[in-house]
Amino acid sequence: MSVLKSRRKKEVVKDWRKENRAIEKYQFVYHFLPHPEEKRRATLLSHKAIILYCAAMLVIAGIFRLLPTMMPGVLGYASDISVKDLLTYTNIQRKENGLSELRLNESLTSAAHAKAEDMFKNQYWAHVSPGGTEPWDFILGQDYDYIYAGENLAKNFNKSKDVVEAWMKSPSHRENLLSSNYDEIGFAVVNGVMDGYETTLVVQMFGRPRNAAQIASVYEEESLLEKEASSSAAVTQREETAGTETGQEAEQGPVYTPAPPAEPLVDVTTATKSVSAVFGGFVGTLLALDVWHSRRKGLRKFTGHTAAHIGVLLLVIASIWFVLTPGIVL
Amino acid sequence: MKEDFDKHITEYAVLLMFALVMGTMFYYFRYNHQVLVFLTVVCSFAYALWGIIHHKLEGRLTKLIAAEYILFGFLVFFLLYIVLNFV
Repeated sequence: MSVLKSRRKKEVVKDWRKENRAIEKYQFVYHFLPHPEEKRRATLLSHKAIILYCAAMLVIAGIFRLLPTMMPGVLGYASDISVKDLLTYTNIQRKENGLSELRLNESLTSAAHAKAEDMFKNQYWAHVSPGGTEPWDFILGQDYDYIYAGENLAKNFNKSKDVVEAWMKSPSHRENLLSSNYDEIGFAVVNGVMDGYETTLVVQMFGRPRNAAQIASVYEEESLLEKEASSSAAVTQREETAGTETGQEAEQGPVYTPAPPAEPLVDVTTATKSVSAVFGGFVGTLLALDVWHSRRKGLRKFTGHTAAHIGVLLLVIASIWFVLTPGIVL
Repeated sequence: MKEDFDKHITEYAVLLMFALVMGTMFYYFRYNHQVLVFLTVVCSFAYALWGIIHHKLEGRLTKLIAAEYILFGFLVFFLLYIVLNFV
């Protein structure tokens, strides 16, 4: 057996001498597997390679930052948020905390829409606009005479439940959400382009009218929700029609549309998570190959703990896919 | 491998505990991006430090091994940061 092996080895060496490519092919394997003679990890796990992966990720992050300035609306945050779900989850939280449910009010809803549209138009993300307009100005602009009023904002989320959960995790937003000072609420879920990214802004406005008799009835709330749902459908239909029309110039300026699910060309969250998974997965797989091949061949290398590296990478990838969710509250 | 594990069980237990604590904190602060960035820095730094201390205690710490853990710390940081930057 060993004679056969040594004969085969000689043949291989003979082949190599004849054909340089065979040596290259033999060496190529060690980009992925540990080297038996040099007692080192695969070339693609070398220090230089790790530096290269870090640099590549920095470059990709830079591209994702630059692209929206050159091609606005290509990158964005996919979302499927509805006013009905936001209202339901908000009232569930209030009920669980022994508070009365809030009723959807038309004026507060209009005020929330005006605020969201103003944020897209003037490209800001704040409670007070760069021109000094405060949330109360939008509420008063809808002739809503209040004793108490409040505002919560959210952007880049993809689920209604996550929005309410994020507000509940933040002390100041939680205070608004669970305040006994409010009787009514208004929501705006508006899609548009902010800082070059297609996104969805959520505005939540709270209020207690000076005249208690003005509190919205169940009937008013239901008709508002119906209106909200039908406007989403109308917008979707309008977008489809616009897509088939040719030769008409698109209107310049900020684009904002109410409520239908936002589906950008490239969902930036999925894209960045995939980049991380590809790099992390690639390094993790090479490390696993390293363990398998070293055991098989009985190789002992003077390196760090491969198993610890694999464990940490697995934890990082799991955190990225199952824990990190997009969305910011203000 | 098993021998090494038995010999350094305390160090591996520390690493495991740290991973569990970090995982829990990541979940708890999943909507607070500033805290998440801070946790990412802590996570990367702590892993590099763990590796260096572990190899020092084993008596086989070299510049190359220290560099390996520092680079893996950076890799962990960039893997998380590229996502955190856009959520």
